[in-house]
Amino acid sequence: MKINRTLRPPLHPIEKVDFKSPAVITKSGLKVYHMSDVPNETTRFDIYFNAGKIEGNNVLASIVNGLLLSGTKNKTSNEINSEINALGAYYESGVTMENAVVSIYCLKENLYETVKIVQDAILNVEFPQKEIDELLNERKQNFLISMEKVSFNAQREFQKQLFSSDKRYNSITELEHFNDISRDDVISFHDQYYLNGLEKLVIVSDLKRDEVDRIIDLFSPFKIGIEDHSSHLVNQRDSINKPMKNALQSAIRVGRILFTKEHEDYLDFLILNTIIGDYFGSRLMKNIREDKGYTYGIGSMISEFKKSGYFLIATEVGKEVKEDALNQIKLELEHIQTEPVPEYELELVRNYMLGQLLKSADGPYAMTDLFLSVEIHGKSLDFYNEAIHRIQNIRPERIMELAKKYLNWKDLTIVTAG
Amino acid sequence: MIHFERFTLSNGLRVIHHKDETTPLAVVNVLYDVGARDESEDHTGFAHLFEHLMFGGSINIPEFDTPLQEAGGDNNAFTSNDITNYYDVLPVNNIETALWLESDRMLSLAFTPKSLEVQRSVVVEEFKQRYLNQPYGDVWLNLRPLAYEKHPYKWATIGKEVSHIEQATMDQVKAFFDRYYHPANAILCIAGNLELEETKNLVEKWFGDIPSKPKEIRDLPLEPSQTTYREKTITRKVPSKAFYYAFKMVGRVHHDYYISDVISDILGQDKSARLYLKLKKELQLVSSINAYITGSIDPGLLIITGKLNDGISFEELDSELWKILDELKAEQIPDIELEKVIAKIRTAKEFQEQGLLNRAMNLSVHELMGDANGINEEQDHYKRIDPDAIHRVSNQILQRKNCSLLKIDTDENK
Repeated sequence: MKINRTLRPPLHPIEKVDFKSPAVITKSGLKVYHMSDVPNETTRFDIYFNAGKIEGNNVLASIVNGLLLSGTKNKTSNEINSEINALGAYYESGVTMENAVVSIYCLKENLYETVKIVQDAILNVEFPQKEIDELLNERKQNFLISMEKVSFNAQREFQKQLFSSDKRYNSITELEHFNDISRDDVISFHDQYYLNGLEKLVIVSDLKRDEVDRIIDLFSPFKIGIEDHSSHLVNQRDSINKPMKNALQSAIRVGRILFTKEHEDYLDFLILNTIIGDYFGSRLMKNIREDKGYTYGIGSMISEFKKSGYFLIATEVGKEVKEDALNQIKLELEHIQTEPVPEYELELVRNYMLGQLLKSADGPYAMTDLFLSVEIHGKSLDFYNEAIHRIQNIRPERIMELAKKYLNWKDLTIVTAG
Repeated sequence: MIHFERFTLSNGLRVIHHKDETTPLAVVNVLYDVGARDESEDHTGFAHLFEHLMFGGSINIPEFDTPLQEAGGDNNAFTSNDITNYYDVLPVNNIETALWLESDRMLSLAFTPKSLEVQRSVVVEEFKQRYLNQPYGDVWLNLRPLAYEKHPYKWATIGKEVSHIEQATMDQVKAFFDRYYHPANAILCIAGNLELEETKNLVEKWFGDIPSKPKEIRDLPLEPSQTTYREKTITRKVPSKAFYYAFKMVGRVHHDYYISDVISDILGQDKSARLYLKLKKELQLVSSINAYITGSIDPGLLIITGKLNDGISFEELDSELWKILDELKAEQIPDIELEKVIAKIRTAKEFQEQGLLNRAMNLSVHELMGDANGINEEQDHYKRIDPDAIHRVSNQILQRKNCSLLKIDTDENK
């Protein structure tokens, strides 16, 4: 029998998602999250410190983070790296606005030994001047390369304006910062925000409780940090254009200060955000890429700090169509404030978002990250059951109401570079 | 050990079934045996442009993405010099939607003029965003034609130049589809919590009636062995001088492939690799240095790349770099150094195989290279490597006459 290809197969809606929290262990005030449901030998171990960019200038936070394995009284950086690599382990570290994170990826059998090496390196780091100079030089070169990119420039200007209500958040990297960092600055930052700034540990590994305890005990020499995060950032809009002579494209950033998962409008706004620009079939993608061919990609997102968040639309477009691209973004935001979202589009977004949620909860690593995304706001994974409920029950009027409340063009910061 | 089953439909479509009971998701991966290497030299970038057109509607379904999103799924695709690979990830109970969509676009596309027009300009913007409007973005557009004289690896997947994409016509699009997009030229992998019988029934239902066409025998120009050292310098408005040493090596199905991979790791994988320790930490000639292989199916490249510190010349770097390469060729590598590299490869592989999508893609690629079970044999290839093998292969690859060097000089008048 010949099948009728114009008829789609029946759809099965997603009714529920199984969420599984890691075990929460509190030891001498230190929070440890242990996800033990790992069906293989892989292991991830994260150490969080209150050592983000808001503490001091951007460059200092990132330099100290990059120098954690720079050597102790007993070992050079080369020796430390060799020992970690010999265990087949991967070491990663990075800073965000509010945190510094060190991550180890390895096989279960090597976790304890690897953590021991990393713990000793961070605890007893001596910060040799030569290592500081080398890293400053490397980061300065990377900065100069980034400054050639339209996207980097637009993001910089955007953050500078958007976070202007709190100077710790709007301090952005400048070339001269690379010259003002002394070894004393580095040592005192490390002392204040690492030795006295431990925040939490995360273990994703099929380990027994006593093996986990043995690892946690390695961190007793570190003091738990006192959080000192921003008050709520205040939206302050502006319009900025940064010309770049040789650019072939212009980067566009449009956005505003918003809120975190703690706000009552967060979940419904998340649905609005998806409709506007957070999936391949979004309104911005349909209009600016798939109809006009102005860009390789355009998207919107909600980004969060501990106490504040922001909404952002980002794209790179052909230089000659920059004005029209901005105009189309404006039209899309106006449109969603004045016309109810059609039911078929809302149904599509419901199904898509539930599918994405299923994906975000698939496997121990994704599940742990999903958990961490609510944990920083003091919530449990029940938040996502609430999300499912909201997604299933959202109405077009509610979408319009939120768009009117939060997406007025006059409230948005608009940055172009290139 | 990754378990799988295989079967072939009467129209020639090869199917791999991989069961995973632990996930509520399924992956449908469709690999087409066509890449940028199959393009003609005056119409480059075509395989990749075509990948974009595969989302512009098929013969019975006006749009690809929407029905998949309605099923809670998402998808993407990539084109390399060797293959074009499409994948869909969705809840397993909706897997039939993905099979309906993938089979319809294998049957035929809608070929609308609007789709061609829009995707041409989307790809031109992609060309600008990724290759032209980025510092060092055009390196591969220059390095490929330097390293390859005859083989089509001499152009990048995005194409040799923007005009090739701008000039693509609907007739060319249709001819390309007829030639490469049919069951015998594809490998389908279904991964998720499904029984083999279910997979067989569903695949037969949706793909069974797609007409069969003969698979074309690929006959690409062979790259002649390189006999002399090549060098090219380009000047760009970039903050640091950069270098790319490209050494010819074997393709993925050759046994020495794994040995070459290990050699690149010994030289430049991480912060305890030889080039990093000597050139960066000890001599401070470079701000960054790496070594890796391109991993292509036909003979590929081992690349050593980095950026020079201010005030350092290409000549100083060159002389110190060759001392390290000559030392590797002359002396036996200590066991402990080799063990370190193999241990990291093992960890990386365990992590890679965590993900269902990675497993589905890798099974498909191995099947393309001759046997999906190759995925389970890779670790043994690495474990068998001994210092003699490193010695033999490094002496074959790391020769001046086997090398092409691209230097990116800074524009001092910037």
